[in-house]
Amino acid sequence: MNDSELDALLGTPLPERDAGEFSVALMEAVARHQARPARILAWIMTGVLTCVIAAAMVYGAMLAGHAALGAQPFAIPAVLVFLALLLSYAVMQSARE
Amino acid sequence: MEDLVSRAVARDVAAFSQLARQHQSQVRGLLLRLTRGNHALADDLAQETFLEAWRAIANFRGESQFATWLYRIAYSRFLMHARKRKPDEQLDDWDAATPSSEGATHARIDLERAMAKLSAPESAALTLCFALGLSNTEAADALDMPLGTLKSHVLRGREKLKTLLGGSP
Repeated sequence: MNDSELDALLGTPLPERDAGEFSVALMEAVARHQARPARILAWIMTGVLTCVIAAAMVYGAMLAGHAALGAQPFAIPAVLVFLALLLSYAVMQSARE
Repeated sequence: MEDLVSRAVARDVAAFSQLARQHQSQVRGLLLRLTRGNHALADDLAQETFLEAWRAIANFRGESQFATWLYRIAYSRFLMHARKRKPDEQLDDWDAATPSSEGATHARIDLERAMAKLSAPESAALTLCFALGLSNTEAADALDMPLGTLKSHVLRGREKLKTLLGGSP
């Protein structure tokens, strides 16, 4: 085989591959990748929600007189409201995805 | 094309999808050569390539062609895979029993078998410069190597192919 024959053979375009299945699988992977932060946030918020419920139970116990309130009686409600807002935001983001 | 790329850079999924459809054949073809005819592995690496491109598309500054940028990601993905590969997973010979080679000419099958004997940089350099029509500068950019090194790989690869395909070296 001489140089020009080799060049011609090497210059043959690569076989055309059908985009169909590959593109579908790729775009599914892209969608999964895009949904990842929302999924992670949702899991974090599940943990936060568990903490919120636990804190609410402790707070309820305090109000019922089983324990004395600390020096800042509004601290726990404020934290609960903040966490509830954060949870709402996370759910909204997840729903948007 | 420019418009599609700028829309994709702005995280437009539809534009990126269209770009992926346009370039998938060449990227998969390059990886198929590098993996020596292993269709499943080539397609896995191609999918990783496009996912990586989507993740990093905000960093694409348009200093090179979009295709060249994709080839660079594809080649680095292949090298990462090759480094992680266990010794018993070596890709020794072109898999001639794969569907795409059924209709191929004998010369083409011989070429693919001979290409499988080359090193990855030689095979990639020849594929980019000849089959995919990149200039030497673009190919050197895609393979992240100096121009002189690329030329050496092309020269050495051609000489090896001539020997393997039965010509005088």
